[in-house]
Amino acid sequence: MDDRPVVVLEEVSKSFGPVRAVERLSMAIRPGRITGLLGRNGAGKTTTLRMINGIFLPDHGAITVFGAREAGAVRDRVGYLPEERGLYRKMKVLEQLLFLAEIKGRRPAAVRPRARAWLERFELWDKRDAKVEALSKGNQQKVQLIGALLHEPDLVILDEPTVGLDPVNVVLVRNVLRELRDQGRTVLLSTHMMTEAEKLVDDIVLIHRGRVVLAGALDEVRSSFGVDTVQLDFSGDGSFLAGLPGVARARLDAGSAELRLTPGADPQRVLAAALGRVAVARFAVAAPSLEEIFIDQVGAAAELAAAAGEAAS
Amino acid sequence: MSRAFPVLKREYLEVVRKKSFIVLTLLMPFLMAGMMFLPALLAVRGVADKTIAVVDGTGLLAAAFEAEAGPPVTENVPRQLRAAARSAPRPGGRLRFEYVAAGGDVDAAARPLLGRLQQGGKAGGGALDGVVVIPSGVFDDPEVALTYYSRSSADFMTQERLGSIVNRAVTHRRLAERGIVAADADRLLRRVRVEGVKLSRSGEQTAGGELNFLIGLLFVIMLMLPTFAYGQEVMRGIVQEKTERVVEILISSVSPMALLSGKILGLAAVGLTQVAVWFGLAAFAGLYVGAAATAVGVNLLGFLTVRVVLSFLVFYVLGYLMFVCVYAVGGAVSNSEKEAQQFMAPIMIVTMIPWILAMPILQNPDSRLAVGVSMVPFFAPFAMFMRVLVGEPPLWQVVLAVVLAAAMIVALFWATAKIFRVGILSYGKRPTIAELWRWLKVA
Repeated sequence: MDDRPVVVLEEVSKSFGPVRAVERLSMAIRPGRITGLLGRNGAGKTTTLRMINGIFLPDHGAITVFGAREAGAVRDRVGYLPEERGLYRKMKVLEQLLFLAEIKGRRPAAVRPRARAWLERFELWDKRDAKVEALSKGNQQKVQLIGALLHEPDLVILDEPTVGLDPVNVVLVRNVLRELRDQGRTVLLSTHMMTEAEKLVDDIVLIHRGRVVLAGALDEVRSSFGVDTVQLDFSGDGSFLAGLPGVARARLDAGSAELRLTPGADPQRVLAAALGRVAVARFAVAAPSLEEIFIDQVGAAAELAAAAGEAAS
Repeated sequence: MSRAFPVLKREYLEVVRKKSFIVLTLLMPFLMAGMMFLPALLAVRGVADKTIAVVDGTGLLAAAFEAEAGPPVTENVPRQLRAAARSAPRPGGRLRFEYVAAGGDVDAAARPLLGRLQQGGKAGGGALDGVVVIPSGVFDDPEVALTYYSRSSADFMTQERLGSIVNRAVTHRRLAERGIVAADADRLLRRVRVEGVKLSRSGEQTAGGELNFLIGLLFVIMLMLPTFAYGQEVMRGIVQEKTERVVEILISSVSPMALLSGKILGLAAVGLTQVAVWFGLAAFAGLYVGAAATAVGVNLLGFLTVRVVLSFLVFYVLGYLMFVCVYAVGGAVSNSEKEAQQFMAPIMIVTMIPWILAMPILQNPDSRLAVGVSMVPFFAPFAMFMRVLVGEPPLWQVVLAVVLAAAMIVALFWATAKIFRVGILSYGKRPTIAELWRWLKVA
């Protein structure tokens, strides 16, 4: 298989008036993988995806998709799920899907059987003649997703694909995206939900304030942070965990904790200390979670930016 | 460009399937016909009988009012309609007179009658619809005028009829004083009718006249109305795609040019469908109701010549494309329908100019004004069509108008596409004119 990147961004910048949405952003999306574009709200994820789709033109820098500089040349090979629902409210579900495939160059008659298969899989076949506006938000999201996939694109770009879906549908979407990858297609999705991304993506690109903070294969990124994290599920009051010797930083939720250890600290001693105070249900030593890395990196970047701001003023 | 087709198809089907479209298309010709002919017919036929009191200061004109003024003799109603009214089973609008010969003081004689007019009959003596006062000096004094009192100031028809009855009587009287008997006087005073005939270059003759003017207006409305309606529709569609965010999907799938042309052509097809239905209905009406229409003297089919239908189609398409481009810009730069309406308000006024000029152009299709306006690209489709409809402008003028309009459309389409490309994706503040100009140069 061709290993050249499907999407390449080189030093791409985009401003909206005084707001710098994306600043000198470079990244490459590898073929046949699921890449997660991660970042906080307003980090520049949607702007980046819109530029890749040719909806916005970058102020500076170059974007190539399938080797083409002009988004129009490869439009038909790309499927796009925008952040906000983008469907004709008064149009019927099936009709709308056939229209979306038709503007991607597919004959309606040819995609009809596949449209039916997708609608059945997403439990929407009964609603094929309902107007979009009559559907629930989650169902509209599913219709939108089918619209992005119906013309069998080689590259699928999804802006927050699981927003508004219930857990059953989230699993369904996750499975669909894995299947697409297994068929050799490339998936690029954005999300701000790290636990969600962790279950799905192969590669990550973490952006903050329009710049790339961290990029690479998820496994490699995680292991590069070292196996220095203790994950603990327990019952009882865990507030003491943050103060244990050898714990550099602790993130506590109800009934679970993620503890980053100082270099050389012994995870077993942390476990022993915890056992004396709470009932431990699960104990693991691992690389830090994506969420932990995210907060670590973005927090650091935020602090750096704040420091730079102070130095400047 | 092939991607414009699915957009075109979607736009077309969306509008044509609407109930409002079907209803409007089928009812419009009837509404128009009703608006045109009903008031004229009603004005002649639907008038109720009236009782008029006549206060005659001379005391010499009783005979004129005793000979009851039977069928209406009005001068300002089209001849054909007058004929229709006369042949109607119940000619309405008879006048009954109460004659009062007032020697000397007409005001004193009129006072109780005016009271009855005001009271509407409650004062006794029956209701009056009007009182006409003839001053005593009516035969000699050139300054003297009749006074007609009525409760409705808009009843100009009765006023005209009274005027002509009194004038006829006064003239007869004056002639009688010079020794001419009444029968001779009638013969001397007979009016000669005017019959309008339009002479075309090929020698054909078609009936001209007042109704041609009305039908000319009807055609022009048929030409302009779809343009306004579907221009609005294009604008609303674009704004809606922006607010519903469909535009992101569209722009990532088809080029802005294909999107714009698909939209504009889709709705042009809607308009043509509508016009085709109207022509079809007119032909139907011609075949089955033709006899009735001809009886009333309405030569509607005289207008449905190949020349007129062809030029209708050409100028319809030109006029439509010209204005819809502007509406598309309005939609692309606005974030809500309300904003778009505000943007369009000044432009709408400009588009109304040929409509305002319809009257002089239809009446004098070869005047300098008509020729000038029909050469201005923005107005050409409407103005030139009016000229073709009622006159026979030189071929070179027609061709020049079409070429100029087509060139204007190409330029407008180019500018629209550029503004559309940028505007359709700009959410938030509406751009200023200066910003629009920058988009035009940059995009």
